[in-house]
Amino acid sequence: MTETTDQLASAASSEVIISLNMVNKWYGDFHVLKDIDLTVHKGERIVVCGPSGSGKSTLIRCINHLEEHQAGDIVVDGITLDKNLKHIDHIRTEVGMVFQSFNLFPHLTILENLMLGPVWVRKMPKAEALATAMKYLERVKIPEQASKYPGQLSGGQQQRVAIARSLCMNPKIMLFDEPTSALDPEMIKEVLDVMVELADTGMTMIVVTHEMGFAKTIADRVIFMDEGDIVEENEPNQFFDNPQHERTKLFLSQIL
Amino acid sequence: MAIIKAEKTPDRPAPLSERSLIGWMHKNLFSSMFNSVLTLITLYVIYITVKSLWIWGIGDAVWVAETRRECFNISLDGACWAGVIAWLDNIFYGRYPREELWRVNLGAVLLVIWMIPLWLPRVKAKVFIGLSTVALYPFLAGYLFSGGDKGIFMQIMITAAITCLIANTIHSIIGVLTGESLPAFLMTRLGQNNAPDATQRNILIAITVSLLAIIFLWQMTWSVINVPWTKWGGLFLTLVISGVGIASALPGGIILALGRRSKLPVIRVLSTSFIEVFRSVPLITVLFMATTMFPLFMPEGFVLNKLVQVIIAVCLFNACYMAETVRAGLQAIPKGQFEGAHTIGLGYWGAMGLIIMPQALKHMIPNIVGSFIGLLKDTTLVSIIGLFDILGMLRSISKDVPWLGLHKEPLVFGAMLFFVLCFAMSKYSRHLETKLSTGHKN
Repeated sequence: MTETTDQLASAASSEVIISLNMVNKWYGDFHVLKDIDLTVHKGERIVVCGPSGSGKSTLIRCINHLEEHQAGDIVVDGITLDKNLKHIDHIRTEVGMVFQSFNLFPHLTILENLMLGPVWVRKMPKAEALATAMKYLERVKIPEQASKYPGQLSGGQQQRVAIARSLCMNPKIMLFDEPTSALDPEMIKEVLDVMVELADTGMTMIVVTHEMGFAKTIADRVIFMDEGDIVEENEPNQFFDNPQHERTKLFLSQIL
Repeated sequence: MAIIKAEKTPDRPAPLSERSLIGWMHKNLFSSMFNSVLTLITLYVIYITVKSLWIWGIGDAVWVAETRRECFNISLDGACWAGVIAWLDNIFYGRYPREELWRVNLGAVLLVIWMIPLWLPRVKAKVFIGLSTVALYPFLAGYLFSGGDKGIFMQIMITAAITCLIANTIHSIIGVLTGESLPAFLMTRLGQNNAPDATQRNILIAITVSLLAIIFLWQMTWSVINVPWTKWGGLFLTLVISGVGIASALPGGIILALGRRSKLPVIRVLSTSFIEVFRSVPLITVLFMATTMFPLFMPEGFVLNKLVQVIIAVCLFNACYMAETVRAGLQAIPKGQFEGAHTIGLGYWGAMGLIIMPQALKHMIPNIVGSFIGLLKDTTLVSIIGLFDILGMLRSISKDVPWLGLHKEPLVFGAMLFFVLCFAMSKYSRHLETKLSTGHKN
């Protein structure tokens, strides 16, 4: 943790790291997020699921302000998301994100992809950034690919690089937006393994996924969304074995 | 039923068509009756064209003569290259004073020295070298070419340019020999390579400042005489106009393209209208406007010379075209790249400069170089508004008394010159594409 974050983080948020209060968002006339309330504690692992178009991706994209919410408050790491660009930039350095489509930078090597953030944003000396990058590449088990370009890697490898790239920024929170949806079945496992290991380190994680096995293993809480509402929220055993809401039951019967 | 191969099949030579010239010809040129006839007709057309060109341009051509009449006396239907040869200096330099030609040549040599490191793989900090070329070389060259009194501004810029050139060159030599950068090399030599960053920086600043001071004092001791722009001409003038145009079109185009995509309505509307106005007007109109209308809008006594006006017009015109090229490149970059950049904490400029723009420009290399080639050729339009660029010079040969009516040969020579320049650019762009495309297979 850097000194600035210490100064910026208020004492009250030592427990709660993300809180959403009556968050609403519209795309044009379409109401995507409706009165969302959500509190995430430090170290908590949350899985968000729901049918497509239910607003789950939009929800986590609001947390690092890739999408702008129109009403309600989002407080991340003690900082309220508002129009202030400094706040947004600061939150983005503390919140890592992994996308369905990887979004690696194709013109840079794997190593350059990983070092870009630490060097340009954190102003880390190059040697130190290199060491960090190699450390995380080893953690996602592909150090031998360091000098290749993203286009030369398989989907699973690219996604692991994307995870390593986020980790290099030493974030407090990691958001995953359907990280395995674009992958072949045998590659899903290698990515999930990395994510399970990450969960074991105590990282705060919010994961949008349809991998229910993964949800059962690591989630502290599962959130089910439908049509912009959080319909059901429960700990995983209860959620899967004993769903309460009709909509949840229907959804689970379709995907399990 | 099992099939088992008892012996390994031995390698046999490939069929004739794959390995001999006759085979190749049979496959590609004479594969059918129709193709054979086509091949023969084509060969015949090539033969008669090349033959008549050869006879005109080389076989019957006259290389040494005093006047066009003498050419005719020697050979009636050969080319009279003697006229072009007699005018070579004019074609290249215009009416630039002959005893000052070294300045133009020196300028060209300095540019080459400045830019060679960009092609040397072991040299570091290429971006800095490239930027310094665009930012400082024009001042040094500008003074070399025009001469006269150095104002204090020019003195400063010339000092900076020379310092930069010296540093670049030493840096490149060290780079080629040892693979190190100049600062690192200096620190090792001074035994300061383990000193704290601040100390190293201070030493570097001290060295730079003293070098600047020495060069500033040195450049005060000399000056070159003024050569008015009206004496500039030929290929030299063409390259000056198109060189400045090329160097400024890309940065200008990037700024305008970003402006056009800006979220701020004022900037967006301004950039868009600027681009659209310049793009909807022919270059020749812009040139006339620049030389005749522009002075009317300027305050009394504000005099810009015609060359500067023309250069400004060419720059603006090409920046607008470049803006659309750059914008097309930007639109090809998926939104996810922005999002990826944002999630590692890069803001708008960081994402643009490090992620989006490098990819966009790489995609657009063929179009960008295409515009540059167009720009080089378009500059010949300035001969219409009375500048003696290469085209103007080539055409005035036919008005020179000894060579009266000599049109064909100068224009053929000009065409060859342009071909060499444009083909080189085109080749270089292909080379850049393949060089930069590594790993870009997405």
